[in-house]
Formats: sequence, C-alpha cells, structure tokens
Amino acid sequence: MSNYIPTIGIEVHCELKTNTKIFSNSVNGYGQMANSLTNVIDLGYPGTLPTLNQEVLNLAIKAALILNCKIRRQMHFDRKNYFYPDNPKNYQITQAETPIGYDGYVEITVNGKKKKIEIEEMHIEEDTCKSTHRGEKTLLDFNRAGVPLIEIVTKPCMESGEEAKLYLEKLKELLFYSDVSDCKMEEGSMRADANVSIRKNIDDEYGTKAEIKNIGSISNVKLSIEKEIERQSKIYDNGETFLPQTRRFDDKLNDTVLMRVKETGNDYRYFPEPDIPYVILTDEQIAEVRKTIPMLPDERREKYLSLGINEKITEKLVGNRSLSDYLNNLLDKKLDFKTAANLLLGDISFYLNKNELEITDTKLTPTRFIELVDNMSNKTLTSKNLKDILDTIMESDKTIKEIVKETGIENITDDNAIKEIVQKVISENPDSVTDYKAGKDRAIKYLMGQVMKESKGSANPAMAMDILKEELNK
Amino acid sequence: MEKLTREEVLHVAHLARIKVDEEEIEKYQVELKQLLNDVDKIKEVKGYDDERMIAPWQADTTPREDIAGEMLNPKEVLKNAPKHSGNYIEVPIVISESEGA
Amino acid sequence: MKYLDKTIEEIHNALKTKEIKPIDLVEEAFERIEKNKDLNAYITLNKEEALKKAKSLEEKEVGDNLLFGLPIAVKDNIVTKDLKTTCASHILDNFIPIYNATVVEKLEQNDMIIIGKTNMDEFAMGSSSRTSYFGAPKNPWNKEKISGGSSGGSATTIAARDVLFALGTDTGGSIRQPASYTGIVGMKPTYGRVSRYGLIAFASSLDQIGPMTRNVYENALLLNAIVGHDDKDLTSANKEKEDFTRLINKDISGMKIALPSYFMSDIVTEEIRNEVEKAKKVLEENGATVDIIDMKYLDKAVTLYQIIAMGEASSNLARFDGIRYGFSVENPKNIDDLYLETRKIGFGKEVKRRIMVGSYLLSGENAKIYYNKALSIRDDMKKEFDKVFADYDLIIGPTTTTTAYNLTDPMDDPSKSFMDDVLVIPVNMAGLPGLSLPIGFGKSHMPIGLHIIGNSFEEAKIYQLASFLEKELNLDLDSRKGDNNV
Repeated sequence: MSNYIPTIGIEVHCELKTNTKIFSNSVNGYGQMANSLTNVIDLGYPGTLPTLNQEVLNLAIKAALILNCKIRRQMHFDRKNYFYPDNPKNYQITQAETPIGYDGYVEITVNGKKKKIEIEEMHIEEDTCKSTHRGEKTLLDFNRAGVPLIEIVTKPCMESGEEAKLYLEKLKELLFYSDVSDCKMEEGSMRADANVSIRKNIDDEYGTKAEIKNIGSISNVKLSIEKEIERQSKIYDNGETFLPQTRRFDDKLNDTVLMRVKETGNDYRYFPEPDIPYVILTDEQIAEVRKTIPMLPDERREKYLSLGINEKITEKLVGNRSLSDYLNNLLDKKLDFKTAANLLLGDISFYLNKNELEITDTKLTPTRFIELVDNMSNKTLTSKNLKDILDTIMESDKTIKEIVKETGIENITDDNAIKEIVQKVISENPDSVTDYKAGKDRAIKYLMGQVMKESKGSANPAMAMDILKEELNK
Repeated sequence: MEKLTREEVLHVAHLARIKVDEEEIEKYQVELKQLLNDVDKIKEVKGYDDERMIAPWQADTTPREDIAGEMLNPKEVLKNAPKHSGNYIEVPIVISESEGA
Repeated sequence: MKYLDKTIEEIHNALKTKEIKPIDLVEEAFERIEKNKDLNAYITLNKEEALKKAKSLEEKEVGDNLLFGLPIAVKDNIVTKDLKTTCASHILDNFIPIYNATVVEKLEQNDMIIIGKTNMDEFAMGSSSRTSYFGAPKNPWNKEKISGGSSGGSATTIAARDVLFALGTDTGGSIRQPASYTGIVGMKPTYGRVSRYGLIAFASSLDQIGPMTRNVYENALLLNAIVGHDDKDLTSANKEKEDFTRLINKDISGMKIALPSYFMSDIVTEEIRNEVEKAKKVLEENGATVDIIDMKYLDKAVTLYQIIAMGEASSNLARFDGIRYGFSVENPKNIDDLYLETRKIGFGKEVKRRIMVGSYLLSGENAKIYYNKALSIRDDMKKEFDKVFADYDLIIGPTTTTTAYNLTDPMDDPSKSFMDDVLVIPVNMAGLPGLSLPIGFGKSHMPIGLHIIGNSFEEAKIYQLASFLEKELNLDLDSRKGDNNV
C-alpha cells in the first residue's frame, strides 16, 4: 500500500442540557415512555408556532466561547426542507446562514505537540424524532423531536484517526465540563460524523470524500477512519476511483459499509424561518454567560501540577468535576494541596462512592476540610486513624480536633512523652538492643512495635521511629 | 414556447412530494417557466438596500424561560394519527436514510 | 325575533335586563343560517356546543362587556379544540384539533359563542373561495356572484346578517377583498397585533387574523377582544392595551390623507374610481386634505407576493403527510407512496399548484435569485410606506379593481387570481393595518369598498376615518333588501 495524506473533518451533534425543548416547553428527557414528552408543537400540529428557549441561547453562547468561536450578534433561523418521517414538520429549523459561532478552535496534543483543530462553524438546530424499524413498518417516538442540538463542524484539518479521537475526547471533556451537554454517545446525546478523503501529495486537490455517519463511540470513530483510509488507499493503488458517498460503521464487521452514493447536491430549499424574528445578542448577555464558564480541564491540570500534585492524581482529580471544584474553592488558602488531593481522591472518594453522595451533600465544610488536611500533614492524624473516624468527620459538625479528642486516638506528638516511652522500652528489652547493635534489622521492628504498644497506638510512628533510632545510637 | 425540462419538473415534484401525471408534467413545464419570467420582473428593481425583511414586525422578542409546561398524554398524541401501534405512531417501511441531522 | 338586527347596545341591554338570554341569540342565529343554507357560508356548525355554552352563560353576570353572549363565526383555518377544523381541504376534512388557537381562547374569555366554522378557499389559497373542497359560498347581494376570498364564508355570513361577528384571515387581502365584495367592514390589523398561534399557516410572514363585521364600531369592539401579546407567537407585538373605539366619531378635520396614483390608474374600473372620488370629496369637504402621491414598488407587490407567499406555503404545507393527523391513504406500499398518494388525493388542484410553484422558487439557486431579493425589496417597500406616513395620517384607495364577479367565471388563469388582490397585497408586504369600508354600489348594485391603510399599530386612526365616512355616507348595507334575496 502506498502512502497517502488523509484529510479528515468532523461534524458533531450535541444535545444541549436544558430542561425543555428548543421550540416548545415540553421536557427534554431520555428513556421515558414513547410519546410521553411531547406537545402539539413537537408534533408539528397545524397552527402551532415555535417559541425560543433562552437557555438554548445561553448554552450555545457558552459552547461558542469555550470553543474559541466568534459569536454572531444578529442571527436568524432557517428552514431546511426535506420529507422524512422523523421530521415532524417536514422542515427542520436550523441555522444555515448565520451560525451563532464561527472561526473557533480546540487545542489537542498529538505526540507531545500541540495542534489547533479549527472549528468552521457551530450552529443551533432541533433534533428529529426517533424512528425504530420493525419489519414492514417504522415506529415513531416524538420524545426527541425538538430537543436542542448544537452542531460543531471542523475544517478538514485532521490527518489521522488518532487526531480525530483526540479532538472528540477534548470536545467531549469541554462540553461535559461546562454543563453544555451530557455528551453520552451511547444515548445519542453526542453523535459524530467523519468526512474522510486522501491524496497523494500535499499540493494535490482533496480526494473524493466519503462521509461516515453516526458512529457510536469515539474509539469507533478512530477505527472507522483508519479502515476508510485503508479502503480508499487500496482503490487508488489499483488505479481505480470511487464516487462521493455516505457510509456507516458496522461494529459487527468492524468496518465501514456503503449506505448510499451521494446525489449531486441536496436541494433543501433553505429560507429564513419567518416564525422567529432576528435574534440579537448583546455584549452584556455574552459577558453574563462567560461568568458561568467553570475553570476548564487544561487550566485545572496546569494549576494542580504547579501545586506539586502528581500527574496521576491530577488526571483523576480533573476527571472528577465536583471534587475538583471543591478543591478549586480552596486555591487561595494556605494548604498542603498534595495531601488535600490525596485525601479527596482516597478516603473521601471511597466514602462518597460507598454512600452515593456528592461532597457538597456532606458536612465536610471547607473549614473542616482545611483542619483535616492540616492535621494530616502535621501528622496529628495518621491515615490508619483517619479510617476509624472518617464517618464521624463526614457526618458531624464537630471540629476535627474535638473528634480526635473524643475518640482518644490523638497522636502523641510530644517529643518528651515519646522519649519517655522509648527509654522505657529500651530498658525493658536489653536483648533486642544488643541484637540491633549487632545489625539485626528485625530487632528495631520489634522495639518499634513495643513503643506503639506502650503508647496504645497513639504515638506518631514517624516521630517514634526517629526518637527510637536516636536513643539506640546514643 | 419556452419551457422547463421534464427532469426539472420531476425534480420539483419530488422535492414537494406532489405526484404529477404526464399531462401535469407538460403543464408545469410551461407554467413554471412562465412564472419564472413573471417573477423576473423583480430583477428590474434597482436601488434597494440589501437588508432583508424576514417578518414585518421586528419584534422585541423575548425568549422563553426554560421551564417545563403541560404535555400531551400519549393517547392524545395517537388520537389523530391514522396508524399507530402501542404508544408509537406507525408509518410504512422507510427505506432510505434520513437526509437530515 | 329579530334581535340580531338591533344595535350592539340594544342587544346588550336586552341581555342585561334579562329580556333575552344568550341562548335566544344563538337560536336566532341558527334559524338565519338554516334559512341561508344555500349561501354555503359554513363548513361546520357548532350547534350543540353553542347552545350548551349559551346555557352556561346564564349563570354568569352580563357585566359591561358588549360582546357577552354574542354568537361569532370563525374561519375554518383557525383551530378550535374538539371542533372540526378543515381549512376547506379534503386532507383535513375529519381533523379534530386537540388545542385552541389563542384568538379562540380570547373569544372564550369574552364570553362569545362560536356558532360555526366558515367556508374559505382551500388553505386560504384563492380570492373567490371557489377552491374550497366544500364548494364556494355565494354572495348574498347576488347569488350568481362570488363572495370573494379567501374569507368568503365569513364575509357571506355577515353580509347575510346571520350573525354580527366573524373572524377572517388575511394573507394577501383575504379579509378586505371579500369585505369589499359583500359590503361589510373587514380589518386586517398590523402584523403582530393578533396572535397567529392556532392559525393554520399559509404564508407565515403575511398571515394575520382580523374582524369582519357589519359596521365600523362593532369591528373595533371585536378587535379590542382579540389583540394582545402572546408568548406562544414570537412575532406577536407587545403593545400597551388600547381601546380601538376611542377615536370613533371624532372630528377628522386637519387629517392628512394620501391617495397613491397607482391605486387610481386604469387597472381599476371607472365606477369604482368614481366612488373613491366621491369619498375623497366628502373628506375634503370636512376639513381633511387628500393628496395624490406617487409611491415606488406598489406595482411589484404581486410579484413579491408570488415569491414569498408561495415559498412559505410550500414549506408550511409540507407537514400534511398523512402521518400524525389528517387524511391518509390506506395500505401505502412504502413511505414515499404514503406521501405522494395522500397529498395527491388530499390537496386540491390550486393548492398543489402553489406548492409546486413555491418549491420551484426555493429550489437550487432560485432561493438566492428570487426569494432573498424579494425579501430585500420587501424591506424597501416598507421603508417607502414609512416615508409616506412621515407626512400623512392615512393612505386611501379602492379595495378592489372590480366588483364581485360571477361564480362561473373561469378560474384557470393562475396570475389573474393574484390580480384580484393587487391593491391589497402591498399592505401585507409591509405588515400594515388596512380596512375595507363599503362606500357605494356599482352596476347591478354590487358593493364597492374603500381601502384605508394606516401606519403600523394605528388601527384606531383607521377606525376614526372609517366611522366618519360610514356616518356621512349612511348607506343601506342590508343585502336582504336586494332583488335576489330570500
């Protein structure tokens, strides 16, 4: 197989996370009884008119800002006219001429190098209804009809399935993180199509394009692109050509299969939707939306690494939005962030998962959390002890100090108190002292055990060890 | 007489899902061409600006708050549907894939 | 009993003093409708429900609402919950809506009683109501003549004096032209005045619901009842409440009126021009000035209408596909068969023709060449009207170029039907309010209407002028006294 340069563009549809549909006030929901989330507008009843959901505009503005798009200040909607049973009015309300966002980008890291994936445009439109094919008939469920979507279209700027995968992962992370969309590919709230062509030299014109539709997962996007590149390469290698076409990924065959050869130019008879006047967006409105954008994953990563949190913990933390937010609220405090991060992802996560809680549902206020971290980092509390009192910490209003005191597990951190115990143990175990001096490692472990036993487990182990060694070496 | 081609008429008829017989095809070949000549009159109009009127009333449109309202019971959804099965509206088999989103 | 011939105040007082009950008015209306059955004004009568509603109103205080307990006819393209709404089309001839249009809710709030759904052109596409699946209504002044259209049934029932009130809709003259042909008062309000929610769309950017009545005052009263901002219609205007009767019978001296020369050109018959001249003279004698002016674009309005209205219509009528509601063929072979056969049998000839035309004008490059250009010229046409209204209070002209013609006149010339509306279409293009007022009669005593156009949201001023002329001219507008009547 010869080498070709692939060119890939990706179109993504994302359902917006609103309470209601874009043009009607029926519920935007998934997994409900068929045709239970509709009203006359969603069904395209004669005489009905669209209304416009403010939250759709807000989320679309948010997405546009996150994707570094320019935002159009005056826009309108268009009708895309085509007959299909999943299209209740037989036109879809979309933005063909004035997409809300344009000229944006998403940055990915490919083989350690940063690359900007350019966004051509991002527009708002309504979802179609869900059709299920059963033998000789097709069944229609209008619950999805009118669910708000944004469609994000990249320029043909990617060169491999891997890049497409990284782009989609980044896109998903951004939109999910900022509460724009659930981005669940398995539920169809995020759907991706890939346009793939290949050419011999960078100066050649783009090759014939194949569009791969509705791929069910990000890994399949990568795989289907790779398979498609392989397929096209073979055709060209054999000196053959092919027609522009639409294909789909078949996960049983693990390959793309032909859906249809494209007719020359679809004739959608677009025209401006007369039922929705121009929508004007102001700078103030956009600024208001900007305020709702949380710190984004990459910024969080950078921040955590700079605080000395290791890469593994950082990734885990970024992957857990609510814990990450919790920590971000403390960034201006003087705190041992390494310990804090470890605590959040360790014992606290364990507790939250076990009880199916969010950290904000518990009594661990930031003030108490800070106290806890301080107690851990100055070794007043050991992680073994913490396990015993964690439930109490999470479920009571008492200070950590009070809890520690009540449960009697306070670490003895007083040098003199520990020294006394150590001296007592040494004087009572002369044989072990001799063994230690003879270089037998086991002896110090035994002595240390005796120290902890004498202190009823409350001596700070690190300190106890230090003092023990000091006394033995005298 | 100037007229559209058969294919042009059939293309439009397909877009609009209007069934046309032979006689109607011939009629539309002429009529649509005449109409086009008619509306060509607007090409004479000069000196207007590019601003377009989508609707005469450029409303002080206030979008709706994102609050759910009343919905139909599935029974009502099916009430006017010529064919249904379970809670679904039914249509004959769909062969081609959706052209849309 | 002849309560429905009395003035609205007289009827109201009779209700208030319990001399009569709403049910008496309803029964009288149905008697009249029954007698005038051959006029074919109605597609569906709402007798049972109307009587029930009238009964229920007996429990209610009459109060000061002049419209309380009065029967009203509603054009059959306005959806009424649980009451068949057909748009005069086979494709909806068994369609029972599951919701109410906003205007219908407003009629309810005003304790009016819907008596039935009136005949019209199929999907309001026509100017003689002859494209109705249920046959054309007849003109009460002369049953050989058309009532005009598309709101022909509403015009007919008012002219026949079955009821005092009717709702019509106007996309390119469909209230004003039949009002003119039948000698009644018909108002197309400013686009956005009346919610379109529940009006089965023909051309969304042009459609508007309006009142059709036997006189100006009652027209303004009904407009009072149906206007208002509606959250369900993004093109609905948010204006402060006003009383449209407030300028009625006010002095018109000093009013500045424009009469565009195009409206008095030879596209209009001489007898109509003469009546307009007479009205002009009356106005001038009473202190108003009437200037002949030139306006750009008026002669282009029909072309713009063809492009914009047909384009929008082809898209609006795509939803009638036999899937969710309406007529549907039995046992289609596949989905395309369902679409093609349902629409072939369901739609009438003119509707299919307009869908074809609209689809053609939006297909391929045509949308850019024609549709977008039409929207730009339309915008300029509105600006041209703005210029006139900077100097004038109102614009007048004839409503129609001829009086009502024969039902048997040929209807196969597609562009002729638009020419019927050449004088009224510019108002829809600019979204302005316009009213047709009877001002005289032509040969064989067929009514002639004056078209009064106001600036956006200045309906009250139109009523002021109309009521003044109505009083001055003092015409006998009761069609039942004509030769051909029952």
